[in-house]
Amino acid sequence: MDLILNWLGNMPDFAVPYALAALGLILTERAGVLALGAEGLMLAGALAAIGMQLHFGLPGLSLLAAMVAAALVSVLFAVMVIILRINQVIAGLTLVFFCLGLTSLLGTLLEWTNRPVQGLPPLAIWPLSELPLVGKLFQQNLMVYLTLPLFFAVVWYLNRSTSGMRLRAVGENPQAADAAGISVMTYRFLAIMAGASLVGLAGGYIAVLSTKMWIADMSGGRGWIAVALVIFARWSPWKALVGAVLFGCIEALIPQLAATGVRLPQYFVLMTPYAVTLGVMIWVALSGRGQGDQPGALGEPYVREERR
Amino acid sequence: MPDISSVTTEVTAKPAVRNRRQPLASRRYTVEVRQQMAWHWQALILALALLLGLGLSTAILIAAGVPGGELFNEFVVLTLFDVASLKAVLFQAAPIVMVALAGCLAFRARFWNLGLEGQMIWGAIAATAISLFEIGPESTRLPLMMIAAALGGLAWALAPVLLKLNLKVNEIISTLMLNYIAANFLLHLVYGSWKDPRDAFPYSPQYRPFERLPEFLDGYSFAIPMAIVVALLAWWFVSVCRAGLYLRFVDATPKVAEANGVPVAKVIIGTVLFSGAMAGLAGFVVAAGQEGRLTQAFYQGYGFSGILIAFLARNNPLAAVVVALLVATLFVAGRNLQVFYQIPFSMVQLIQALIVICVAGSDFFIRHRLRRTQGRES
Repeated sequence: MDLILNWLGNMPDFAVPYALAALGLILTERAGVLALGAEGLMLAGALAAIGMQLHFGLPGLSLLAAMVAAALVSVLFAVMVIILRINQVIAGLTLVFFCLGLTSLLGTLLEWTNRPVQGLPPLAIWPLSELPLVGKLFQQNLMVYLTLPLFFAVVWYLNRSTSGMRLRAVGENPQAADAAGISVMTYRFLAIMAGASLVGLAGGYIAVLSTKMWIADMSGGRGWIAVALVIFARWSPWKALVGAVLFGCIEALIPQLAATGVRLPQYFVLMTPYAVTLGVMIWVALSGRGQGDQPGALGEPYVREERR
Repeated sequence: MPDISSVTTEVTAKPAVRNRRQPLASRRYTVEVRQQMAWHWQALILALALLLGLGLSTAILIAAGVPGGELFNEFVVLTLFDVASLKAVLFQAAPIVMVALAGCLAFRARFWNLGLEGQMIWGAIAATAISLFEIGPESTRLPLMMIAAALGGLAWALAPVLLKLNLKVNEIISTLMLNYIAANFLLHLVYGSWKDPRDAFPYSPQYRPFERLPEFLDGYSFAIPMAIVVALLAWWFVSVCRAGLYLRFVDATPKVAEANGVPVAKVIIGTVLFSGAMAGLAGFVVAAGQEGRLTQAFYQGYGFSGILIAFLARNNPLAAVVVALLVATLFVAGRNLQVFYQIPFSMVQLIQALIVICVAGSDFFIRHRLRRTQGRES
């Protein structure tokens, strides 16, 4: 009983970073840019958030800093893939290692490593928080509640707004979009920055609200899992949210099981998120849901002079 | 060909005056694809890009508190004019060459093998298993360990390539996930059943003397000729043998290759497995060379370097050897900086990333020409 209560109570802490990062990646990839740099952008966001939190102690400001920092770093990626037309896989990988090196260097030099910070207090939504079993699900910090409106906003933007439709057009068929007078470069540039700010927010969430300290390489592969999440959510935000909750449940279960005294081989338990990711990818492939939902021009640089 | 872009966007254009002092926004730059460029211009642009990357890295290192003179000493004087350092660099280069070649081959098969580290780990684990369970007589133990390492890496590369070909599972994600799984399994071993019972550190018992790489000449590790042999083998594979010819065909246009009767799937699987085997061997060389045992993080940094070297060398095995030597210098110097100035080792990755950004960016200027077209009205 207690197990389920605590499990559900801790779940959002694990699920929200996946959800936010996946949302950001969907925004970028719907514009046709393969965004493999999530792992690095998360680190950039996390370090910026911790820095602000150590100096000012205002979680709202720290999360904002995380978004701004990741968006700024993503300008580098945008220049690489949009203006300089570097292969998007190489550019994404380079971004990850650029951020990994830079953040661990800055974290060491500025002495921000392992210094605990104060997160956000939980907010109880009164009648719901008294419910049996799922009560703790409604005693979360503000950011958890804000995730849902963010999803609504992005879904509305992509499906209902003119600008969102143009963004998807750029991702599906940049030649046609260009011919229709849409600036492919501008849309892709802004999509990368907007997506990166959400990925950075995810990193900031991990650092300030979940782990509550900075450790080098603290994202620990969660950026890559978010990339995988987007693939098997078929670039649909709601499916990505479901996937994020699923992963949150799995990761939140690990410490709970350990607390009950079940003896599990520790490192096999730590493998589970990665093994599950792999398993889900195979399962999705086996179930035969085709490649149809993938943005048509994903990963292809648009070079106007080379149009045919 | 008329430039449509400059016409459509300049609706409110000024009269057709070719004025040099137009506001910046109305000056238009168009990018043209360049067909050919003289090789000396290409070399100059590449050199400038490298210089820019190195300059940025130096600036960051100096900002991080390393005195500039020391840096010069560390990178140039010691590595080029000091025999002990040269040995260290060559020794460090051996596994990097192998990983880089593994990257080259996989990328030539259009397979993003980001699982080089996982394959290294399994290579080292397999070799260590031979040592731990004392398989085979003493005289053949070392070759046996090498074979086991190659097979270990090969096995870890098998699943992603089959998944990609049969189920179209994205290999970027699958190989990365397998890296994390392998890394955790390694931790499970070195903290668990394979832990050296003699002390409290998380590593396996040390290899016996006859299980370690011997030295030849005076003090040069046997890893160096191994790397040379692997490099020659890779070169032979891609440029001489029949499979290499097929591979180039598959790389250029898989569909046409298939239609012409090239066994595309077999060529891809074979190449990726070869790549995995080389990565596994590299894992063994690192484990056997550094401490002569499995440690918890022996593989770190190699995978990324392998991929970037392959990219910088344009998947050419011989060019990869040259780039790998430079990266090895960076590794050795980075380790010294870590000891003397507490600079985190990921600095090495930052420098590599910077250089790749600059060099990859320079490609744009080689392949394109920037031309200013001032308000060309119709």
